[in-house]
Amino acid sequence: MARKVRTTVGYDGHFKDLEVDIPEGEPAPWDARSALTLVSQRVPRVDAVLKVTGRAKYTYDVHPPGMLYAKILGSPHPCAKITKLDLSKARALPGVKAVWSEKVGKKLLFQGQEVAAVAAVSLDVAEDALKLVAVEYEKRPFVNDLEKARKPDAPQVFDSGPVPPPRRVPSGAEVTHAGNVRTIVATQPPGVDIGKALAQAEVLVEGTYRTQVQTHSALETHGTVAKWEGDHLTLWSSTQGTFATRDQIAEALHLPKDRVRVLCDFMGGGFGAKLNAGPYSVIAARLARDARAPVKLMLDRKEEHLATGNRPDSAQWLKLGAKRDGTLVGLHLKSYGTPGVGTGAGVSGPARAIYKIPALRTEESDVFTNAGEARPFRAPGHPQGCFALEQAMDELAEKLGMDPLALRKKNLKNPVQVAEVERGAALCQAWRGRGRPGAAKGVVRRGVGVACGVWYHNVNPATQVQIDIHNDGRVEVKNGAQDIGTGTRTFMAQVAAEEMGIPLDLVTVRMGDTSLPIGPGSGGSCTTPSIAPTVRAAAYQARLKMVGVAAKLLKAAPDELEISGGRIHAISDMARSITWKQVAARIPGDKVSVLASRAAEYQVFQEQVGGVQFAEVEVDTETGQVRVRKVTAIQDCGRPLNRLTAESQVNGGVIQGVSYALFENRQLDRTSGRMCNPNLEAYKICGANDCPDIEGVLVDVSNAGNNAGVSGIGEPTTVPTSAAIANAIYNAIGVRMRELPITPDRVLAALHKGGGR
Amino acid sequence: MANQKDDDQKKGGLTRRELFRSLGGGALVGGLVPAGALFRTLAPPPAGVQVLGPGKVTITLRVNGTDKKLEVEPRTTLLTALREDLDLTGSKLVCDRGSCGACTVHLDGQPVCACMLLAVDAQGRAITTIEGLARGEELAPIQQAFVDYDALQCGFCTPGMIMSCAALLLHNASPTLDDVKHAVAGNLCRCGTYPKVFEATLAAAKKGGHARG
Amino acid sequence: MNRFEYVIPKSVDQVVALLKGGAVLKAGGIDLLDQMKEGTIAPTRLINLNALAALRYVRTDATGLRLGPTATLAQIAADGAVRGRYAALAEAAASAANPQIRNLATVGGNLCQRPRCWYFRAAEFPCLKKGGPTCFAKEGENKYHAIFGGGPSYIVHPSTMATALCAFRANLHILGPGGKTREVPLDKFFTLPTIDAYERENVLAADELITEIALPAPPEGTRSAFLAAKERQVHDWPLGEVAVFLTMRGETCQAAQVVLGAVAPIPWRAAGAEAALAGKRVTADVAAAAGRAAVAGAKPLHGNGYKVALMQALVARAVHVAAARRS
Repeated sequence: MARKVRTTVGYDGHFKDLEVDIPEGEPAPWDARSALTLVSQRVPRVDAVLKVTGRAKYTYDVHPPGMLYAKILGSPHPCAKITKLDLSKARALPGVKAVWSEKVGKKLLFQGQEVAAVAAVSLDVAEDALKLVAVEYEKRPFVNDLEKARKPDAPQVFDSGPVPPPRRVPSGAEVTHAGNVRTIVATQPPGVDIGKALAQAEVLVEGTYRTQVQTHSALETHGTVAKWEGDHLTLWSSTQGTFATRDQIAEALHLPKDRVRVLCDFMGGGFGAKLNAGPYSVIAARLARDARAPVKLMLDRKEEHLATGNRPDSAQWLKLGAKRDGTLVGLHLKSYGTPGVGTGAGVSGPARAIYKIPALRTEESDVFTNAGEARPFRAPGHPQGCFALEQAMDELAEKLGMDPLALRKKNLKNPVQVAEVERGAALCQAWRGRGRPGAAKGVVRRGVGVACGVWYHNVNPATQVQIDIHNDGRVEVKNGAQDIGTGTRTFMAQVAAEEMGIPLDLVTVRMGDTSLPIGPGSGGSCTTPSIAPTVRAAAYQARLKMVGVAAKLLKAAPDELEISGGRIHAISDMARSITWKQVAARIPGDKVSVLASRAAEYQVFQEQVGGVQFAEVEVDTETGQVRVRKVTAIQDCGRPLNRLTAESQVNGGVIQGVSYALFENRQLDRTSGRMCNPNLEAYKICGANDCPDIEGVLVDVSNAGNNAGVSGIGEPTTVPTSAAIANAIYNAIGVRMRELPITPDRVLAALHKGGGR
Repeated sequence: MANQKDDDQKKGGLTRRELFRSLGGGALVGGLVPAGALFRTLAPPPAGVQVLGPGKVTITLRVNGTDKKLEVEPRTTLLTALREDLDLTGSKLVCDRGSCGACTVHLDGQPVCACMLLAVDAQGRAITTIEGLARGEELAPIQQAFVDYDALQCGFCTPGMIMSCAALLLHNASPTLDDVKHAVAGNLCRCGTYPKVFEATLAAAKKGGHARG
Repeated sequence: MNRFEYVIPKSVDQVVALLKGGAVLKAGGIDLLDQMKEGTIAPTRLINLNALAALRYVRTDATGLRLGPTATLAQIAADGAVRGRYAALAEAAASAANPQIRNLATVGGNLCQRPRCWYFRAAEFPCLKKGGPTCFAKEGENKYHAIFGGGPSYIVHPSTMATALCAFRANLHILGPGGKTREVPLDKFFTLPTIDAYERENVLAADELITEIALPAPPEGTRSAFLAAKERQVHDWPLGEVAVFLTMRGETCQAAQVVLGAVAPIPWRAAGAEAALAGKRVTADVAAAAGRAAVAGAKPLHGNGYKVALMQALVARAVHVAAARRS
């Protein structure tokens, strides 16, 4: 029965009571007063031993008997039509068991787009066979440069065929499309005149910032193992969305959903690129059907860079105005970005979400190009948007003669974030001892910079968890979503054991299987806030059933009993007790089984999560090299379920942010339109010696909203890093770096042009 | 070492230059090698030299202390042999070029990338893979430290990362933080486990990881 | 990778005979397998040079340092004598690639490796170095390309070992058909991309084999240093690198060898810098002058002008580091 409960919400000494409406079947939310023994502790991963011994089986490691190996031939051109295709020699090569190809006449829109594929007895034979596929292409004009693609006479990327619809359009926004450019114009509040608003500003800053294309570069490439048994298809897939993959494959192959099972036991990283099935999964399934044998199709590193998603680039122009006291009055943002043949180059998230800005106008354009599609990438749009906005905030502070933190504190929406800014400033000695921009002397100059970021509290309501308590006392917790390496499996065990008052080692978690209850795709940092409260609800209901069984055995009323330390006992008399296992043995049938669904969110303290990062850098003014020495990262995520793995998320976000700021760049050749660096040698991701010291601080927020009070933490920690680094570089050398990545050539050029200070 | 003269110029009657010229009009054939030119037969080698392949040859690899007999083509890498022939799937293929360290195994106690080493070349060497570190269910100290310190996330770089750290500990009983960073300079992690890898390795060294890695 | 025959030789003469028959040498295999995996070459007979264990050595004697062609970079980096008397060489060996590769890669292979240019390494680009008509770097993405000696190809020579070995005036012992041997000073070994040599980077004939790399013993009072500037501080190809070998009397530099790497199609002797140092007390000003002299005459492309300032600084620093060392 639904009921009202008073719960304590707040953070760090700022607590208050909030009355919330608890849906039926739900326990009251854990809050700041809850004394928990497993949840919010430091708990090593339940699957860590499998990972450190090499026994964890990833899609790449799955090997059903009789399995064949498939490989794809991708288009070598950024835009071309297939004019001839001869598979006969490939088909005839001994060891080749099935072939697939596109049709002659197909127009290919990006390098790496699938042309043909073979399945063979070994990967070597599959590669040999692809060399025997004879394809002729008619090259078509292409465009892959942001500026060139915007021109009216540029080759039209979608001159035929559908244009990908925009991912999100704010209500009241205007959408226009001309040539390769699709623009979404939105104002906040609706209809506000940004010109008039900025005319009220006493201080204005204006600038253009550019960011690069970043590829996800998960270590396990996209891939699938497809196996047919009759008309039932089993797919092992390296995916962030087992259920989305199932649904899309069922649709593509015209199969009922119950004939498709998707499995993903372990998964080697996704970061947003693996939310959908992908053509390779369909190709693998077709090859397997034709070959009458299981087929493994893992993309190679080059295909991974070319065809499986990226964070779009951006060119952003901002005009930001404030009153003399630092109160923001308006922001005008125009942005362009290339999502390739996809969509999603918008960058206005931070502009909408971090600060109280009374007048906002955003004009965001997707500029289509002949390159692999953009996909969501860890906080889509936010690192780009922050790189510009948070530098503009620093520029504004400088012009106002204000402390950059004071300016931020004055305008932040979220009081938790104000506290985080203060906490960070107190922790970061370098911040307190910082000099004026460009005041540092010597060849190698140190600087420190700050930036804020926010993220959303996303929940996928299509989440269910089943808990089975077996009559030997063991507990299975089941959800079909995937653990992409964030520690989902571990917190599921923690939450269930905590709620049921039993030791962690009685719990087995089963996930990554669409024959289990539905779970979310791991996007938007929604996995934890979708699954954890559902686990707790299921555990709560299962516990009530166990207490019901125990009540009969102890001849007590159920509400006189509680469970702790693996015993069920009377609240008033600890000695009147019975063990969990004894109760389990008396379960009618052979198990207690509960299926709980994700309840709707209820009242919260804060809608968003926030963070602030302080970066300390050294800039070598002779070689242009930048080293990030330390990052102090303050972050909230509601209740951290596992402090050990949450710290890892902070580290991961910061390190990807450093990598984005200094190293990564998808380099396209201007002449041929091909990618120059589709590998892990010239596409550079942050390595061990480039990794800064990271001081991560989690600010616990008792937030209500759901029974566990959780939000996600995967995405927000990578949002402010590049902006904080850019601000730190400015502090060090007095020259602003307005383009990512900040590589030695650009630093030297900027120093040369700006002359330093 | 690489031979300077690109001996592969003549293929199916086309020189490389002619081949490229023929592709100039926008036509492109498969993977750039003319059809039928998958294998070019050379004159027989001088007498007295041993020739392996190009078909399968029987080799013996000493993996994790046990001799394993298998049949591979000379072109088969050690990584492929371990994974596909010996079902030791802990070592991963990620970059396939020696840039990332995910396939790191020990060859006579030294870390190498198994993706850039031919299986036939690993004969007569002691090969240790991630599967060979634990003694039964008892983890090596470095493995236990990775568990305790959460030095792993998705786990795909983890076997290679551990093998690099284990090699460090085999040769250096009390490494500094800098030693650890240099030991894993060939291992890329995309999730961002480096700080905890450093912590775990230093902790394992303190607990006597030297003897066993 | 394509299929191939793998030949196990018993002697260097057999190796030469095999080379003559069209086989390709494989030692560490790092560079060769990379090209084969990319599909830019498909040799069908490889010679396993590692089978000749006698070619893997690092030896010092009265004449100097002798390196077998299949000595690994790790072996050289760790060798006590090398670290002591040939510091720049040990530093170069430790700077290349990553620990896993250094355990496999050989010094001979490092000298003979093909360019790392991204156009050369990709099968889709029929570049000059692969026998095609164009150097794509000239008009294309040339951030990592040559500022000296470029044209018509703008590759940079990728051998870090060559940069250091040239500074030490290494000689190559080369064996050819019929047991014929020759010695080639390393700085005469590498070739600029002239019309008859687009597809090669050195003078080694297809049927020749490097049998030894010999470095003269450094006289008393010599000091050396190697520095590389990279974008990342892990496995990364340098933006530029320099090896400096100074003959000092007290604080005065009597003679200098300064060799730049990753800036030209061959290891680039910075004669101007050498002249700027000879006979001078090595002060900060003199080191800076050497840096300026080192980059005089650089001809950057549209994307690599930064290398000029970078190399100027790097040379000055390396001079400073070397001079400050006790020999």
